[in-house]
Amino acid sequence: MAEKMKRPGGELASRPLHFFWIVDCSGSMYGEKIGTVNHAIQSVIPDMVDAASNNPNAQLMIRTLQFSTGASWVTANPVPVEDFAWDDLQAGGVTDLGQAFELLSAQLTIPPMSDRALPPVLVLLSDGQPTDDYKKSLDKLLHLPWGKKAVRIAISIGQDADDTVLTEFTGNRELVLQANNAAMLTKMIKWASTAASMVSAPASHVLEDKKPVGIPLLPDGGDLLPASVPATGGGNAPLVLDMNNIPNPDDVGEGDVW
Amino acid sequence: MSRKIYGESVQGASHIRSGVVCQDSYKQVQVSDDVALIAVADGHGSASCPHSKTGSKIATNVFCRIMEDLLHNFSEDMDFFMTYLNREGEVKVAQAIDAEWKKRVWEAHLKNKREKPLDENGEVDKSAVYKQYGTTLLGLMITPTFIFAFQLGDGDILFVNTTEIQPVIEGDKILGTETHSLCKMDAWKKAITMIRKRDVSEDVPYLYLLSTDGFSNSYKSEADFHVTCRDYFNLIQEHGFETVASNLKDWLKETSELGCGDDITVLMAYYTEESTNVPSADTSDEGGNADEQS
Repeated sequence: MAEKMKRPGGELASRPLHFFWIVDCSGSMYGEKIGTVNHAIQSVIPDMVDAASNNPNAQLMIRTLQFSTGASWVTANPVPVEDFAWDDLQAGGVTDLGQAFELLSAQLTIPPMSDRALPPVLVLLSDGQPTDDYKKSLDKLLHLPWGKKAVRIAISIGQDADDTVLTEFTGNRELVLQANNAAMLTKMIKWASTAASMVSAPASHVLEDKKPVGIPLLPDGGDLLPASVPATGGGNAPLVLDMNNIPNPDDVGEGDVW
Repeated sequence: MSRKIYGESVQGASHIRSGVVCQDSYKQVQVSDDVALIAVADGHGSASCPHSKTGSKIATNVFCRIMEDLLHNFSEDMDFFMTYLNREGEVKVAQAIDAEWKKRVWEAHLKNKREKPLDENGEVDKSAVYKQYGTTLLGLMITPTFIFAFQLGDGDILFVNTTEIQPVIEGDKILGTETHSLCKMDAWKKAITMIRKRDVSEDVPYLYLLSTDGFSNSYKSEADFHVTCRDYFNLIQEHGFETVASNLKDWLKETSELGCGDDITVLMAYYTEESTNVPSADTSDEGGNADEQS
């Protein structure tokens, strides 16, 4: 009988999965909106920990980025989900979304991102319109290899949110989730948080040559992506998501409509 | 010179947890004493590809079948064969593999009486059928005078000897979990091939190692992956091919558990001076069982 030997080779590692909460903390978020965001994200963390523990082959790392007058990291470095604690955010100031995209771009560049990571998940929550020139920064983000591959979800808070901007970010109108009251915002945050477990499922996906069929365009039929973003790959990563489970925004339930 | 070929596929740790069978396949055909064909394929395993195990099985069969037919046709003039592959590998050979895979997939689909999806005009949508069987394919033909490598999708084909370790062919590096696939229409356009003349004085021992992406993705870096392939080669030299072959399955299971959790297939072709017993030295060895004839 052949001799039993210890496994040879280099260092093994699960694949990192970076999850970003990108939160609008401008003045219009003051009060119930930012309170709901704080509470909802805090409440989904245990679910994210549970989901991550079911897949030890993906290492879920979380970071929070806030933007108002300027943008800054709440958690500067990626934190393993089991160690992650939500720091309540305060609202005040303007909506410098472009600066948030700049900070994101710096973190999605390789390095510091690893080329063996799983596609990052970017969840943007906003209730208003950018006050800075965000287009150039968004264009830069969406041209990064990981920017293109990222699963990009936006939660549009209230009726004043600029969905066109959020759709430019996601590249897919279906991934702009409408939250017009506190209950719906909580549901949408919960749904978005499940993206991590879907991305980490061990399956390959066919690289599409063109934009996926069936993704709605803007009402005027225009291209959702910035003109300079290649059609290929722009909307691929969301294909890993189960969009059938997105809560119905018309089901507003109890509570005031923002 | 002695040739030893051995492969293993293991169900990924994540697939064990979710009850999904291993989607990888491999195949070796020892055509003659000095010609061998080896192939691995990685079925996608996503929800939209429920029959990708069958797809990967068909892929390895098709590669070996088509290369065997070509070998037969060009057997009188291997130099001409090499020229042909160099000129036509990425077109005619890739087209033949693509077409034969789709033909067999369609036949398997009909044979198993599976639902035929319709397109918006009410016609049978064959592309939707192919997608259910999506897979990558890596293949290598090793002859005394040249090697021919074929790659469609992710995975690695490496050459290792006492002084170097290098990719035989460089596939597109695609971030994340996406890959080129045989299931796409005109999939052959994404195939890459490489032909390299072999130096008859090439020093043995050396190793060709084909692996699905679950192997390299389980290591912290490409450098760690290469260290691993080097270690496999060194262990073969120190302890013999049979010892490594008999441990391979356990090692790959552990690799998946502590690594990326994906299915892993490794197929090794080792060339050495010595002539000893070879595990699984059948002329044809196939890894994995598809859920139907393919």
